[in-house]
Parts: sequence; C-alpha cells; structure tokens
Amino acid sequence: MCGFTGFIVFYGAWKTRKTKNVDNYLRTGKSSSWWVVALSIMATQASAITFLSTPGQAYADGMRFVQFYLGLPIAMIILSITAVPIYSKLNVYTAYEYLEKRFDLKNRVLGSILFLTQRGLAAGLTIYAPALILSVILGWELNITIILIGSMVILYTSIGGTNAVNKTHILQITIITIGMFASFFMIYILLPKDISVIDAAYIAGKMGKLNAIDFSFNLNDRYTFWSGIIGGTFLMLSYFGTDQSQVARYLAAKNITQSRMGLLVNGLVKIPMQFIILFIGAMVFVFFQFVTPPLFFNPVETEKVKSGSYSKEYLQLENEFELLQDQKRIKLREMLDESSRSSLSESKDVNNELNKISTREHDLKNSAKVIIKKNNSEADTNDTNYIFITYIVNFLPVGLIGLLLAAILAASMSSTSAELNSLASTSLIDIYKRMINKKGSDDHYLKFTKYATVGWGIYAVAFALLASELGSLIEAVNILGSLFYGTILGIFLVAFYTKRISGNSVFIGAIIAESVVIYSFFFTSIPFLWYNVIGCVIVIAFSFVLNPILPSKENR
Amino acid sequence: MDENSQNITEDKPPFLGSWNKIYFFVFGELILLIALFYLFTKAFS
Repeated sequence: MCGFTGFIVFYGAWKTRKTKNVDNYLRTGKSSSWWVVALSIMATQASAITFLSTPGQAYADGMRFVQFYLGLPIAMIILSITAVPIYSKLNVYTAYEYLEKRFDLKNRVLGSILFLTQRGLAAGLTIYAPALILSVILGWELNITIILIGSMVILYTSIGGTNAVNKTHILQITIITIGMFASFFMIYILLPKDISVIDAAYIAGKMGKLNAIDFSFNLNDRYTFWSGIIGGTFLMLSYFGTDQSQVARYLAAKNITQSRMGLLVNGLVKIPMQFIILFIGAMVFVFFQFVTPPLFFNPVETEKVKSGSYSKEYLQLENEFELLQDQKRIKLREMLDESSRSSLSESKDVNNELNKISTREHDLKNSAKVIIKKNNSEADTNDTNYIFITYIVNFLPVGLIGLLLAAILAASMSSTSAELNSLASTSLIDIYKRMINKKGSDDHYLKFTKYATVGWGIYAVAFALLASELGSLIEAVNILGSLFYGTILGIFLVAFYTKRISGNSVFIGAIIAESVVIYSFFFTSIPFLWYNVIGCVIVIAFSFVLNPILPSKENR
Repeated sequence: MDENSQNITEDKPPFLGSWNKIYFFVFGELILLIALFYLFTKAFS
C-alpha cells in the first residue's frame, strides 16, 4: 500500500516537473488523448467514499442505486453536442470564462465564486470522509491520516498541475479496477464450497438485493428508473457541464474529437462499472449470510456502547442476532434445495420464513441503533460506509488488504487532486488574471497557480481537520452544495440553450433564485435536494420574464 | 485559419463514420443495459 501510494506521488511529481507555462499547467497544452480524458473523468468522479459506500449501498438496499446513473449517457451525448463545441470554439480555460463571453463579467464572477465556495469545502470533505473511515477501521490517528492524504495530493498536484492529475489518474483508476476485481474474485473463494455462483446470485435475488430496475413512479422513492433518467440527466449535465473539476478534464484534450470521445466513452463504461461494484456489494451480502456479520458495522461505536451503561441491552441484542443467523443459514440451504426441486408451494414456505427472519434481523439492527444513539447522542447510526471495509480488513489476505487500501487512497487522491487543480485554475483565470493583475507574465501566472493549488490544499486540509471536531459540519457541506448547484446549472442552461437572453436578466434571475433557495433553507422544511431543482427553474423562468424588460447590450 | 476553427474542422469521430452514429450507439447501449437489468431483476427476484 505504502509502496504504490508513494509511487503515485513520486511518478506524478517527477513526470510533470518540467511544466513550464500556464497552458501546459492548466490544460496540458491541450495534448490529452480521448482515453486519457475518459480515464481522468472516471477517476475524478470515483472518490474514495464512492468506492467504500457503493458496495455497502448494495448490501443494505440492493442494486437499485445503479439507476442513479441512467441519465449519465444521455448527459454525455447532450454535452458532446452542445457544451464541448462551445468550450472548444471559444478556447476557454474554465467553464466560467464562457459565461463572460456569452453574457458579461458579473455572471462569470458569480459562477466562479459559487463554484469556489462550494468546491473548496467539498475538497475538504473528499479528504475527511475516507480518512475518518480508515482511521476508525485501522486505528490510525484521524488528523495524521487527513494531513497525510492532503500533503501527498498537494505535492504532485502543485508541481505538475493538470498533467500530473491526468497522469496519476491513469494509475489510480487502474489500481481501483484491479482492487475491485480482486475483491470480487475473493468473494467466490471465501463462500462455502457447496455454494456456486448461481446459488449466490439466487440467494441475493431472493433476499431482494438484485433489484437493478424499478419502473414504478414514486416521488418519495429516491432510486427508480424515472428518477434516474430524469433527475439523473439534470444532475449529470450540471456536474459534467458546469463543474470545473470535470470540465478541466475534457478541456485538456487535443481537440474537440478527443473531448467528445472522452465523454462518450465515460457514457459507455460508467453504468456497467457501477453495476459490477454494486454486484460485489450484493455478493458481500451473500458472504455475510454464511459468516455472522457484526450487528453494527462501525467498530468504534460498537466498542463505546459495549463499554457503556447500555452494555447489557446491546449484548442481549447481539446474542439474539447470532441465533437468528444460525436459523437463517438453515433456511437458506433449504431454499437452495427447494429451488433445485422446483416445488413452488414448499419454496414459498421457505421464502416466507426467510422474510420473517429478515424482518426480525432488521428490527434488531434498528434497536441496536437506538441503543447506540442513547449511549452517544453524537453517534452516526448509518454504518453503510463501514460494510465493505469491514469485509476487506477482516476476511481478505494481507497482501490483498494492502492492494485495496492502496485503491481506496488512490480514489481519495484522484478526486481531491482534480478539485484542487480546478480551484486553482478558476482562481487564476476568473479572478486573479481577469480582475486583479491583467498584465502579469506567463511565469508569474504559473507561480500564482502553483501557490493557489497549495493554498486551496491547505484550506481543504484545514476544513477536514475542523470537520473532525464538528461532526454536524458534514451535513452542512452537503446542504451548502445544494444551495448553489441549482443556480449555477440554471445560468449555464440559459447560456447554452438560448440566444437572446441578456446578462442582466440571467444575473438578476440568479440572484432571485439564490435568495429563494436561501429563504427555503432558513424558513421552510423542503428537503435540501430539491434546492437544486428550485434554483435551476427560477433562474430560467426569471431570465425569460425579465429579458424583455431589462436593458441589454443589444438594446443600448 | 486559427487553431480553434482547425479543431472544429478536424471534428470527425474515429469510429463508425459520423457523430450521429456514435450518439446512437451510446444511447443504444443504454437501452440494451436497461433491458438487461430488467431481465436480471426478473430472473433473480
């Protein structure tokens, strides 16, 4: 693990140490091939928390999370047709530069400040979340883990810029892929010898974990075909089309063809990749049907409750949970026998009994969470993120544990490096060079960008360190992201898809949208995910309403 | 001809001959995946 992680940092810094000008630093001198762009896009999106929590998601809730990505190929096609030719034609460094060319300076500044605010804090979370999980499971000191991950990323990202980010992304996505396939292979090695691959899939299916598609239309259900196709398309359009951490990936391509191919390959590969990761989670679930899992997967909270005043109640729940596991294993083997005999009525009886056991298991887990919360009111009762790492650390051989921990660190560094790089490029292009120092030399701007990368890195690490002391900040960051994302998307959608809307009307529309979103946050109980829709719709609506009234450049 | 307009004229896909065919291919894969996921869900439910 240490060897590979150290190699990535050294390789990224060494291979790109001779980056001599701003264009090379921010866009690799527009030299990237489509496959580098595609891998870099995937590595940027695959953060460590995705890598850790996606299998856990399948374990807890089945494979329906795959529907979240159904809008991605559609968004890739739309962006290839619209955004890529526009960015390429205008030869921009950042997405927000385009807003000035299309509207005016104030829209560019508004877009870039919204991005810097949101992404700067998100970079801290990208470092903090995996550091927390690794420290809990491996017993590492949290602050040292945060500083270690942050320092490694800052080192190679500040030396080599986008070139270093892209080059290390290739290695990082390779180790992530190898790690996932290795863990997939190991599940079948570790399953009981009389349980075949088909048996494992049969069990997962019967226990409701292979529910990849759900065509029902239910607004309260987060993951359905419809929410994936409609909501997912908007979300992916916003993320890949307006977030500089992704836009920078395809702006580094040699030409428009390479940019488009990078995006479209991502559109082809992403869903099968997520399907495989979720299937691994479903198989981890089957594995834990034959090996008793912990009642609660976060070992720190479990230890706290066992050594506290609720120890007796918790141990009672654990005992009942273990007895239930024995009963379940007997029934699972009966179910497999019934399935081979294809006796419908007997099979139904076994399924009903398994359902009863699952319901009781679910109740016991909920009771355990209530006790954990009573014991420690600050405790996070969602243990989904700890499921896959528990499997890795407790059941895989030592060498493979190192490989997978390297993959987790690689995933953490890949998204953080892209974030720091995009924050630095936006700071230079949209703020410093545009408004503070217009006549600096290329060398001066290059130095500024390197310092900005280090500065944003320190900011992210500092926030991650602060987050470890103020747990509620994590939720605050997620809410903060939703406070701005809808407005940014609205501005870009008006820019891409309308010709006559002026900068003044979209700017005022954005201010109104942001005010309504902030009002909703403080004075209503609307769930924060809806702020994205509210912000976007209000920007578009007010842009159209105000455009005939307000003066524009053309009118003057 | 400046660099940007050169980029636009070079805009030919490396496979399948036209961008529309590539877009159709990506969209077709999405439809195929949805169909396969449906069959997968049905087969194991």
